[in-house]
Amino acid sequence: MSRATITPDRSAEVYTTERTGPRKRARLPGDGLAGYLFLSPWIIGIVLLTLGPMLTSLYLSFTDYDLFNSPEWVGLENYERMFSDARWLRSVEVTALYVALAVPIKLAAALAVALLLNGKRRGQGFYRAAFYGPSLIGGSVGVAIVWKMMFSDDSVVDQLLLTVGIDTGGWAGNPDFSLMMLVLLAAWQLGAPMVIFLAGLKQVPRELYEAAEVDGAGRWRRFRSITLPMISSVVFFNLLLETINAFQVFTSAYVVGGPNGQPAGTTLFYTIYLFDRGFGDYRMGYASAMAWMLLLGVGLVTVFLFRTARGWVYYSGDSGDKR
Amino acid sequence: MGALKRFRSAATSVVALLAVASAAACGGGGSGDETEAGPATLRFSWWGNAERAELMQKAIDLFQSKNPDIKVTPSFQEFEAYWQKMATETAGGNAPDVMQMDFSYLREYSDRNALYDLKKQEGKNLELGDLLEGLKGAGEIDGALYGVPTGGNTWGYIYNPALFAQAGIEEPKEGWTWDDYRDAMTRIAEKTGVPGGGNYIGSYYNLELQLRQEGSLLYTEDGKLGFDKARLAEFFKEGKLLTDAKVVLPIEKGVQIKPSHSLELDLVAGDLGWDNFMARYDKGAKAELKLGPVPTDHPGTLGQYLKPSMLLSVSQKSEHPAAAAKLVSFMVNDPEVGKIFGANRGLPPTNAQRAAAQLEGPLAAVAAYEDALKDKFGKTPPAPPKGAGTLEQAFIRIAEELQYGRIGVDEAVDQFFTEAEETLGS
Repeated sequence: MSRATITPDRSAEVYTTERTGPRKRARLPGDGLAGYLFLSPWIIGIVLLTLGPMLTSLYLSFTDYDLFNSPEWVGLENYERMFSDARWLRSVEVTALYVALAVPIKLAAALAVALLLNGKRRGQGFYRAAFYGPSLIGGSVGVAIVWKMMFSDDSVVDQLLLTVGIDTGGWAGNPDFSLMMLVLLAAWQLGAPMVIFLAGLKQVPRELYEAAEVDGAGRWRRFRSITLPMISSVVFFNLLLETINAFQVFTSAYVVGGPNGQPAGTTLFYTIYLFDRGFGDYRMGYASAMAWMLLLGVGLVTVFLFRTARGWVYYSGDSGDKR
Repeated sequence: MGALKRFRSAATSVVALLAVASAAACGGGGSGDETEAGPATLRFSWWGNAERAELMQKAIDLFQSKNPDIKVTPSFQEFEAYWQKMATETAGGNAPDVMQMDFSYLREYSDRNALYDLKKQEGKNLELGDLLEGLKGAGEIDGALYGVPTGGNTWGYIYNPALFAQAGIEEPKEGWTWDDYRDAMTRIAEKTGVPGGGNYIGSYYNLELQLRQEGSLLYTEDGKLGFDKARLAEFFKEGKLLTDAKVVLPIEKGVQIKPSHSLELDLVAGDLGWDNFMARYDKGAKAELKLGPVPTDHPGTLGQYLKPSMLLSVSQKSEHPAAAAKLVSFMVNDPEVGKIFGANRGLPPTNAQRAAAQLEGPLAAVAAYEDALKDKFGKTPPAPPKGAGTLEQAFIRIAEELQYGRIGVDEAVDQFFTEAEETLGS
């Protein structure tokens, strides 16, 4: 965003220095101001609603602040304390595990559905809408409540599993299954990445498949050697988005596990713990520090993903000045 | 690239969500007229559901018709959201004039200079003479009055007599011991297949009950823990045995039915809990429920006390403390209000309201239960220290992990004391 604020400013200068000569029209004194005025709704928004709170939370992260009394400067104490805070470590573990499970499962499911929906078939439009549907409502409180009920004992899922001899005693109350329940909820909302995969699949040139078929390549082979490399940029895009989203899961987890991450802290996501520290215990300084650590963590993961991308992401038209 | 932009906005929104207030507006509140309740508009917040909101509105309408120059603007949330909102509003110097207060938050707010000392209004706009004996002084801290109870309840034992009969055991009588209680649960579970109760280590009010029976307190007067590690270990150990013997409701089940209670769903033979919840359980349960005496190892000392189930407080920053005090006084004294609420706020706090409230069925049973205990109630403990809410949550969480077998007794004890040190020490 900082780049964006600077750009108009600099271009205005370039504009004026180029035209210092006796040209048609001299720069009016109000020109720059008018520009800023046009930008003002956005600037005010970013400064007051985003930048201001961000800087405040950065400051608060170095303080002991309980909402009632003035913040007290404590230096790096909040950050240091995290590493000896068992619940913080637990929340990191839970979140990392969730990201590692939910993202690949969701992407694989989205890709599989996209492949199915890619061909020409009657009623394809209906199926696409049907698969997209859950992601419109999936983040809501209502769905999370229904989900929890579905996975409780005496419920559909548990009774079905019982008929094949698997007794979990209800996923919602079983620490070994509770996280999986949320992973499935995420995977169920595969609409957004699915649509993007579909768009990617449409871009793959037909003739590649035809050529491969002539050479006797089977379905799997065609998928491995043509489809995947050709849509690798789309895969990367989805991977990035879903990873970042997965780090921020909150609503469904809060509904299922509450502020304590029930059962037995297995759904204590980072965001839940952060919220609980801030708004449950009124430790805003600590919560702010946690938010900045999350930003740092997500940032590092993103950088890491971009690094690896060089090795496996292929952009069609990759010959000119692409990075 | 789109992803990067998306990342940025996503990341900033997380941060933005956190950064609540710019600076805490602190310091003494500007009190307007302290004695004369002139024309005023009061903001009044409480926690509760739609049902309570309806009753509250009736009471407010009545208040406004009797005090035409005072207008009341109500707002309500459910319990957890309510405290999140109160915290942010108070920090922003924008707290409502009158707010519903929980006993465990009273010190949290009064210590932070957020509440008005109602002593200044006592006898003028606030009448407290009719409060039940056990509730008198309940909102007092260091000589100042920060909250007036609007209802009272007590810890009790609620059970299903049919299951006791089926197991061939006598119903609980006053003087039964904790061993009797554990035996009863075991025998009921063995004979009927229904768990004898919830595991009582899940709530720290059961620890408080035991401590009070022994003559100590959960929190001491100066806001420290009233027990040591060995005592907590003993408490946890007993509960762990019950879990291992499978005579109490399995924790897996308890977690799944939340926010319902096992008694409500006929899943257990009985449980220790707040007596006024009887009404709620009775509504859901098929079984006929009864209130019984709590177990004790110290004959004659039950350890029970009348707890203010909720209070009303006035903001330190209120510009109309006199009018606010009038509203508080009306809410606890007016017989009509007592009739409107019945036992919705816990049993009514004053004799006049208790007489006016027409209590039926399970609520009448609760009233009778408290009446019978009147002379046996102990002294209401001092308001819990700041951070008690956090510690109560920690207790629930740690007891849960213990029941799941994720941690042992020693680790559970250590975790709780670490949490307590961090919370109470600062």
